[in-house]
Amino acid sequence: MAVFVEVDHVDRVFKLPDGGEYIALKNIDLQIHKGEFVSLVGHSGCGKSTLLNILSGLDQPSAGGIVLEGRQVTDPGPDRMVVFQNYSLLPWLTVRENIALAVDRVMQKHPKPVRDRMIDHHIDMVGLQKAAYKRPGQISGGMKQRVAIARALAIRPKLLLLDEPFGALDALTRGGLQEQLMKICQENEVTCIMVTHDVDEALLLSDRIVLMTNGPEAHVGQIVDVPFPRPRERMEVVKHPNYYSLRNEIVYFLNQQKRVKIQKAKPAAAVAANGLEKVNLELGFIPLIDCAPLVVAKEKGLFEANGLSQVTLNREPSWNAIAEGVTSKRLDAAMMVAGMPLGITLGYGNQRPMPMVSALTLSRNGNAITFGKRLFDQGVRSLADFKASLDRRPDQVHTLAAVHPTSMHNLLLRYWLASGGIDPDRDVSVTMIPPAQMVSTLKAGSIDGYCVGEPWNVRAVQEDVGVVMAIDNDIWSGHIEKVLGVTEAWANQYPKTHVALVKALLEACEYCDDRRNREEIANLLARPEYVGADEAYIRQGFIDPYDRGDGSEPVAVPNYIQFYTGKANCPDVAEVVWLMTQMARWGVTPFPRNWLAVAERVTRPDIFGEAARQLGLIDIGRDRHTTQLFDGVVFDPDEPLKYLDQFAIKRDIRIEEVPMDAMAAV
Amino acid sequence: MTAPLDIRPARSPFNFQRFVGQVGTRLKRLIPPTVAILIFLIVWQLLTMGPDANLPSPVRTVQDTWELIINPFFDNGGTDKGLFWQVLSSLQRVAIGFTLAAITGVGLGILVGTSSLMYSALDPLFQILRTVPPLAWLPISLAALQQANPSAIFVIFITAIWPIIINTTEGVRQIPQDYTNVARVLRLSKSQYFFKILFPATVPYIFTGLRIGIGLSWLAIVAAEMLIGGVGIGFFIWDAWNSSRISDIIIAIIYVGIVGLLLDRLIVFVGTLVLPEEQKQ
Amino acid sequence: MQTLNTRTQPQSTMPATQEPFLLIDNLSKVYPTLNGDFVVLDGIDLAVNEGEFVCVIGHSGCGKSTMLDMVAGFRQPTEGEVRLETVPIREPGPDRMVVFQNYSLLPWLTAYENIYLGVNSVFPNKPEAAKKHIVMEHLEMVGLADVANKKPGALSGGMKQRVCIARALALRPKVLILDEPFGALDPITREELQEELLKIWRDHQITVLMITHDIDEALFLSDRIVMMTNGPAAKIGEIMQVPFERPRTRARIMEDPRFYELRNEALDFLYHRYAHDDT
Repeated sequence: MAVFVEVDHVDRVFKLPDGGEYIALKNIDLQIHKGEFVSLVGHSGCGKSTLLNILSGLDQPSAGGIVLEGRQVTDPGPDRMVVFQNYSLLPWLTVRENIALAVDRVMQKHPKPVRDRMIDHHIDMVGLQKAAYKRPGQISGGMKQRVAIARALAIRPKLLLLDEPFGALDALTRGGLQEQLMKICQENEVTCIMVTHDVDEALLLSDRIVLMTNGPEAHVGQIVDVPFPRPRERMEVVKHPNYYSLRNEIVYFLNQQKRVKIQKAKPAAAVAANGLEKVNLELGFIPLIDCAPLVVAKEKGLFEANGLSQVTLNREPSWNAIAEGVTSKRLDAAMMVAGMPLGITLGYGNQRPMPMVSALTLSRNGNAITFGKRLFDQGVRSLADFKASLDRRPDQVHTLAAVHPTSMHNLLLRYWLASGGIDPDRDVSVTMIPPAQMVSTLKAGSIDGYCVGEPWNVRAVQEDVGVVMAIDNDIWSGHIEKVLGVTEAWANQYPKTHVALVKALLEACEYCDDRRNREEIANLLARPEYVGADEAYIRQGFIDPYDRGDGSEPVAVPNYIQFYTGKANCPDVAEVVWLMTQMARWGVTPFPRNWLAVAERVTRPDIFGEAARQLGLIDIGRDRHTTQLFDGVVFDPDEPLKYLDQFAIKRDIRIEEVPMDAMAAV
Repeated sequence: MTAPLDIRPARSPFNFQRFVGQVGTRLKRLIPPTVAILIFLIVWQLLTMGPDANLPSPVRTVQDTWELIINPFFDNGGTDKGLFWQVLSSLQRVAIGFTLAAITGVGLGILVGTSSLMYSALDPLFQILRTVPPLAWLPISLAALQQANPSAIFVIFITAIWPIIINTTEGVRQIPQDYTNVARVLRLSKSQYFFKILFPATVPYIFTGLRIGIGLSWLAIVAAEMLIGGVGIGFFIWDAWNSSRISDIIIAIIYVGIVGLLLDRLIVFVGTLVLPEEQKQ
Repeated sequence: MQTLNTRTQPQSTMPATQEPFLLIDNLSKVYPTLNGDFVVLDGIDLAVNEGEFVCVIGHSGCGKSTMLDMVAGFRQPTEGEVRLETVPIREPGPDRMVVFQNYSLLPWLTAYENIYLGVNSVFPNKPEAAKKHIVMEHLEMVGLADVANKKPGALSGGMKQRVCIARALALRPKVLILDEPFGALDPITREELQEELLKIWRDHQITVLMITHDIDEALFLSDRIVMMTNGPAAKIGEIMQVPFERPRTRARIMEDPRFYELRNEALDFLYHRYAHDDT
């Protein structure tokens, strides 16, 4: 699709009365396609209205420019019609006259009857026939805004600009108007740019949501693609499996902006003490059972024992938040899904690559694949049953969920499906949802199953909405699951702190795998500041026999979650290479031509070794060996491409040189 | 808040009960002012009953001026005319002076309001000039125009014009940015902008200016006529004072008050004809 | 953590003989017009327990403000009655304080004086020092002790609404009625005030009735959400129990699967089953 509107590196600087300058917008760069609906979302004062004014030509950028269909625009014109928040209808004209004013002016060349038809058509379109001869003062706010929309569309603009069109209306009155606007835009194929701070409104209407950071120097913080199919209907949209994960992502972004504002007031400087460069650490975790090592290190004083006297654990809402927190330096380090350090290093999801390292594996196993009760009731008991049911009903779309593109959940779920002859992208669809939303989304029927860590499988079984189809131990027992991740820059800046952190967590991992401590740990995890789930949910698999919910007796699963035993903790280049193959297989990241250099850069057994040596733990390094998963395909870490060749179901694999040294200089 | 519930009754063609009710409430409203006037007259009567009172009592006033009251239309030539003719010639001067002031004032106001350069240049000047008492202009105008009648008209003009200019200017400057933005986006031509947006948006302010202006004109004419002589209610008062006809003065003052009120109401009435429903307040 | 929930037991567990704290009993409101009667509310029954936080949600014109006006005593029901601790409500009183969306502070008085005005008229016999103490205590409660001597014009929207809440609570009401109190505030300030209101509610153990248009706000704050059908002749369409543990934090609620279920149910009610057409 050709670019229709281009916002080309726009800056907007306001001169202040005291002679200073206020940089409202900094380097805004945005391409909008024809027929697209784009929302600009941000806090008040983030410059989103300024940007809209620049687009309309009512305001001029200080640098850069706006290009509409290849031509730069510098002044306002009817090809970019604006709908303002306060309607801006002329109070002395009737509804019809207000629209006529615009139509008569812009469509001068058309004869009067044509213009009249045009006016009436647009009054009909917004359903205001009865109010056509009323003045704005006699109609409600919602009706006024409909007049403004009719007026804007009546002159057939190329681009419709909406500045918080429903901001002055109460949240519920907005609903009907949003649907009407959506319908009109759909029917008239208008390209729209809307400023709003209502996240639900943005999600319902937009194809893309542009999240703006707070001013001064506001810029585009993130662009969220909204994948809901059109035509849309509100209740279908909110029941879409990704609705709440997208919504939470946006809300999270906005909250983060709010927090940034507060943080700017008091920057946290590194506190050096106890022979370490930094003892005040912000660590991120996700409320899952495998956050146990962090909780234990905190609660049992292991951080302090290793000199880290001011460690704060931050409970994060999603894995995206973890990735954002560590790369933006808000967090010093975090518990990460296995592929995340590699994924960020390679720039997954078109993000800017940033070198990451991991010096500790925190846990192994602990996931399960749960299918909704409906599938189970239809007789789906195994992967083969699922394949058969898909073959029988090819018209039905099944959606499965995992938590993050770089997580083992995603990679194992796809591996498992593909090994059963099911293409995870063509025969079903795999979507990303934060762990906490899995059960409710499954219950709502928006997804048919998922792969996630505990307690979310147990919970689905206990609430009788799902049945566990496979646990990790059925697919690949002892696989890498959660790791400690930091940026390479952080690791270089605080080497001693890094070793101390690994020591504390390694001791915690050892503590977690002593079965005698499990009761105590389950108790700690149940606390609201950590997992905050009922202890009954936490115990399953962790202490008690595991109930799959398929009617079979609960059985004790050895190593259901592994924190220390079996040399669990040393980072392993071979495992990183396996992750590399699978992420390349599904198109998450390219496969680096210099794969070994990249894997060795991300994996830091040297730091782990130093920590282990200081703790007096010997011989807990990983042995070099080949691996095979439940399907028997052998993975030789020296021949990753050969391994990839063996898979029938895979995406096009991009093999690219990843310039690690250039990246580190960034 | 939720929107107010629409429980207004539909407009029925004619409802006798309601009509009677409305007349009733109107009459009721007349009671307090009538009582107030009565009390005022009684107090006045009581205060001026004594034989050595300087001012005539109300009864006395009516007795003295009965001729004037019952026959406002006599004309004995010269300045000896009935009150109707006196008031009419004052009103003529006001009409000419005020019309000139309205046209010039609105024009200048729009000009000054649309140009910030003109505004910053002229607004301070206007602010100074508007405080000059009307009569202070009289000697200047007499010196310049050499004739009594044009000078009086000039005093009306110069008195009324400042509030008209200042309010019009303010009206133009207060046009909501939104309306201007609409005009810019639609690329309205200058004349369309003037007639469709600028003028309607400014009308309420213009009428505020006109109302203040007409009030000031009427104040000024009475004073000016006292000085320049000729037919007119102002000179009538001055003449009566010189002839010690205090009762005549009192009756003339009542005329001045009533005419002033009527002039004010007239402007308001014209305003209601011109102003759109939403902007009346 | 969960002990606070004991006072939000559903009404059914109460002894049958005991009347609930606040009872809206078969309440109807009809306005006679020349074209016949206009029924705003039609038979509202609602029992509110002491210390409960109830949100009322519904489209514009559904009569929710009329209903709370009758609880406040500003309007009289056509049928039925509202009883607070078994006493029928006939007129406004300091035991039921109302906070409006548009602040309703006197602009020529300072924040302190605005609150003092109410305290002085409700507790005229208290010694001056005690009244002063009450005012300052409540200003501190909403974190506005520093701006006690500022007039409303110098305060932000959020601060003004805090003063209103302080003014209402300073009179020690039994019921706090909030008529869409945060509707005019920007989202960040709104969230701050919601959190503050929740804390105040906990500390004061006060019964709250609140009108809102914001489903998230209702889910975050209330024990029950009363969803009204569209007017005219509006009724209670559905009452939703909000089961989240207290004290609540926004992040925790967002992690709770039930949040999404309840939110969708409310959306379904308001946008689907009782969608509103604004003509």
